[in-house]
Amino acid sequence: MTIQETPSPPSLPEEVEEVPGREITLTVNGRPRRVRIEDRQLLVEVVRGQLGLIGTKVGCYNGDCGACTLQVDGEIRKSCLVLAASADGAELTTIEGVGGPDGALDEIQQAFWDNDAFQCGFCLPGHLFATRDLLDADDDPSEQDVRDALVGNLCRCTGYVNLVKAALDAAQRRRTTGTADRRSIEEEGPRPADACTLHRGPRP
Amino acid sequence: MTQSPPRPRPRDDGEATTPPPFAVTPEVDGDTAVDREPAPGRLHPLRRDGDLLLTGRAEFLDDIALPGLLHAAVLRSPHAHARVLRVDATAARQARGVRAVLAPEDADAQAAPLPAFFEPSIVGGKTSTFRILAGTKVTYVGEAVAAVAAETLADAEAALELIEVEYEVLPAVVDAEDALAPGAPLVFGEWGDNLLAVFPFAEGDAAAAVAAAPHRLSGELHTQRHHTAPMETRGYIASWDRAGRLTFWGSTQNPHPLRTNLSTVLGLPEDRIRVIATRLGGGFGHKFNGYAEEPLVCLLARAAGGPVKWVETRADALLVGAREFSHRFTVGYDDTGRILGIQDRVVGNIGALGSWGGWSMTFPAGMTFPGPYKVADYDIQSHAVVTNKAPWNGARGYGKETACLALERMVDLIAAERGLDPADVRRVNFIPEDEFPFWTAAKHLDSGNYAGALDKVLALSDYRGLRARQERARAGGRLFGIGLAFELTPEGGDFAGSFVRGYDTSTVRVYPSGAVTVLTGVTSPGTGNETSIAHLVASELGIPSEQVSVVQGDTDTCPYGFGNFTSRSLATGGAAAVLAAREIRDRMSGAAAALLDCAADDLRFADGNVTCVTVPTSSLSFAEVAETVYRRGLAAPGLDQPLLEVTRVDLPHNFHHVPDEQGRFSAYPSYPYSAHVAVVEVDAETGVVDLFEFHAVDDCGNVVSPRFVEGQLYGAISMGIGGALWEHQPYTTDGQPVATQFKHYLTPRAGDLPAIRLDSQHTPSPFTLLGTKGAGESGVGGGLAACVNAVNDALAPLGATAHHLPLNPPNVLAAIDAATNPGGAR
Ligand code: FES
Ligand code: FES
Repeated sequence: MTIQETPSPPSLPEEVEEVPGREITLTVNGRPRRVRIEDRQLLVEVVRGQLGLIGTKVGCYNGDCGACTLQVDGEIRKSCLVLAASADGAELTTIEGVGGPDGALDEIQQAFWDNDAFQCGFCLPGHLFATRDLLDADDDPSEQDVRDALVGNLCRCTGYVNLVKAALDAAQRRRTTGTADRRSIEEEGPRPADACTLHRGPRP
Repeated sequence: MTQSPPRPRPRDDGEATTPPPFAVTPEVDGDTAVDREPAPGRLHPLRRDGDLLLTGRAEFLDDIALPGLLHAAVLRSPHAHARVLRVDATAARQARGVRAVLAPEDADAQAAPLPAFFEPSIVGGKTSTFRILAGTKVTYVGEAVAAVAAETLADAEAALELIEVEYEVLPAVVDAEDALAPGAPLVFGEWGDNLLAVFPFAEGDAAAAVAAAPHRLSGELHTQRHHTAPMETRGYIASWDRAGRLTFWGSTQNPHPLRTNLSTVLGLPEDRIRVIATRLGGGFGHKFNGYAEEPLVCLLARAAGGPVKWVETRADALLVGAREFSHRFTVGYDDTGRILGIQDRVVGNIGALGSWGGWSMTFPAGMTFPGPYKVADYDIQSHAVVTNKAPWNGARGYGKETACLALERMVDLIAAERGLDPADVRRVNFIPEDEFPFWTAAKHLDSGNYAGALDKVLALSDYRGLRARQERARAGGRLFGIGLAFELTPEGGDFAGSFVRGYDTSTVRVYPSGAVTVLTGVTSPGTGNETSIAHLVASELGIPSEQVSVVQGDTDTCPYGFGNFTSRSLATGGAAAVLAAREIRDRMSGAAAALLDCAADDLRFADGNVTCVTVPTSSLSFAEVAETVYRRGLAAPGLDQPLLEVTRVDLPHNFHHVPDEQGRFSAYPSYPYSAHVAVVEVDAETGVVDLFEFHAVDDCGNVVSPRFVEGQLYGAISMGIGGALWEHQPYTTDGQPVATQFKHYLTPRAGDLPAIRLDSQHTPSPFTLLGTKGAGESGVGGGLAACVNAVNDALAPLGATAHHLPLNPPNVLAAIDAATNPGGAR
């Protein structure tokens, strides 16, 4: 068997329309990067494509699952909802940039592993970043706080039980090791979990 | 391919250097309670590659980067039922970036029809011929009609717009009962009707037993179409080398059967194809092989002269159906609630048949009856009905969940009618512990202590306390419901004639350095079975788990196997690996006995050493023995077996394919079970169900990896809850799928679920090497049935019955309306 040629090699049209594009600069996990993008590209496509950072996943391209979560200028974002062109000049942190440079795990990652918080791991970017975001704002969250903070992410494997356990464990580890961010706890204003509309009244 | 290389991790002081014996219970593991320290004294290794996954370094299908990789897009039928009159792809061939276009006649010219994942004719069902691209007739919205490969996905999708297809739209049928009615449109004209098959499962004389029973009740129950929705969708990459050999990467659960099928479809010798199953982001049956896109990417890659990737969109994934069943049942019983007879007409709306395998869920849907209960007379007729919805593929639970739901509803209805406690009705009906193994029409149940598991879950949930809380809540006018469910989960099925087989194969190989590799035919959908298999082999050889790598999913290196389905990994591939490791140990014992001048029986493999128990100073490291065998084998006395590579097959030894004199057979060998308690409150005004407690106790025999089994239960129960309350793939009456994204298809989020609480019981299987039963599917039926029972219990004060799933606000309100406002809807 040999490779067959295309049955009737198509003749290229006279003018192939160019896809509009541009060059943008980003700081990605602490390093400056300059990339050529198409204007129609989503941030997740550029991160996974041109930047080769495949730890950011795609589960829906629709803002529903959170697998594409990363940080843009310190804020967690679903990168399938961001046009890459709009991120020009931004600082990005992806799941690859969360732990130490040598692949060392931070407290949250280690707590996830020790608590068996994931199975296939496809949903991890969203759950890791959402947990981090919560713990940065609240070093002693309740179980309900954790559930509220994770609500933008879908996991199909775990029923969230061990994810919640791991987040609470990570909070404890941060408090024990003194890496919890005390300042933010005293800050006024709503915490990430307060935005959640799913709170219910007391149960019988 | 998932390859878990041995990567040593720093060990905590005090951590055992030798794993425990092959099968451990949580009590032995001692580490299943919540722990706040990093893995203190943990005997079972952590999930392999956890660090890779947590740092974004683990590769899935869509992460594979090949030079010149092209992207495929598929043109799908917008009609539920239509003749395809003409497909004109001329303009698409000229479009920007396009490198290959396939119309139906191109695919037909190069490829044979698609082999079925599970051919219906094996079990007496009707069948049809399925092509990669539908060139004459489409039978559901989403059926593939043409395909493009282009330099970017955007270009490929843009080119689809240029393909002209002329259809003659035909009347469609989407409801199963409509499809069975005379004069219904025929999905497959040559069949003469829309009934693929009826599977009867009966013992005794159900009609007579029901008629003679002191009490009878009848009902109907409907579960909606809902599926598994793994977070990673399917995807495939095909690449032909210059010599014409095909390499195929697939997000698939069955790499070897997939290779065989590609060989059939493409007319290529099987050894010219390498299939590599990539790390899966969930499988659950969605990634069984048999999809048209598998050979399609191969044809596109050949036509384009470059590697081609296709990744399923979420909307495509949501086409794949499952679990749409209805039950029409009558049950007869006595004053104590003992069931005397069951009749159930089960109907599965399997969508249009295709090459996918899910239609066969209608078989276990009937076979699982009468579940954990001892019922002498029953008659279950399970119908597989085709309609113009997309076909089913496998879905965790595999039809067993619908049998569980129907049985558990019947028990609760009996309890309510008799004024008995639902737990007591279950107790009087359980198969007694001393009657195992126990025969039913199509099951040889291995072992069980059902009452023990029920008692345990009642204690775990403080069932009496719950009933007291319910009384107080009801007094306050609140709709508080408690739902019990007991689930029997047949696992490990073997269907001779198909590639759904009950055995599997593993190779254990020891290198001169003492490194060990297991190559196995079972694959992991992300559950961690590779960690467990390494742990088993390491335990046999007395070496650290990190010294054992596990290779799965690569057809060039792994023995032929059937991959991942029906919760069989450890009872087949795991057991085979243990047998192979034992043979290796025997061979190494022989060598070590000669080297240490010690009887082979006196050798102990532990802590990475082979030690003579009678002379403990007389010891060699595992690696020294291995290296010596390679360096001096066949050249020194006693070193006469130099091959440190062994392949073994194993299976659960409880298959009964040939019917006995009473016509009984058993295609499933392993019967784990679980008991569940769900607690809900229903808001009568809004119809919103608040599930706020869930407790479960499972028994899957001996357990190798307690935490992984717990993880499986959490996931399976959550899937069952999702099906009970929210998940739904509705269709319009003309056959258009409505749920095309996660904003329509509502899988549970963290805020929707309570912290599921688990306990376990361990009744070993006498038929498997390790005493294990299957783990993985248990919990779907229990989660589903316990929630449905809880909602119905909550609605009891209103006299309402909610039997149309999902129990989302519209359906709950409709149930309340039907009871409180019989004149009509509010
Ligand atoms: S891929 Fe972005 S939210 Fe799902
Ligand atoms: S671990 Fe598989 S989706 Fe979360």
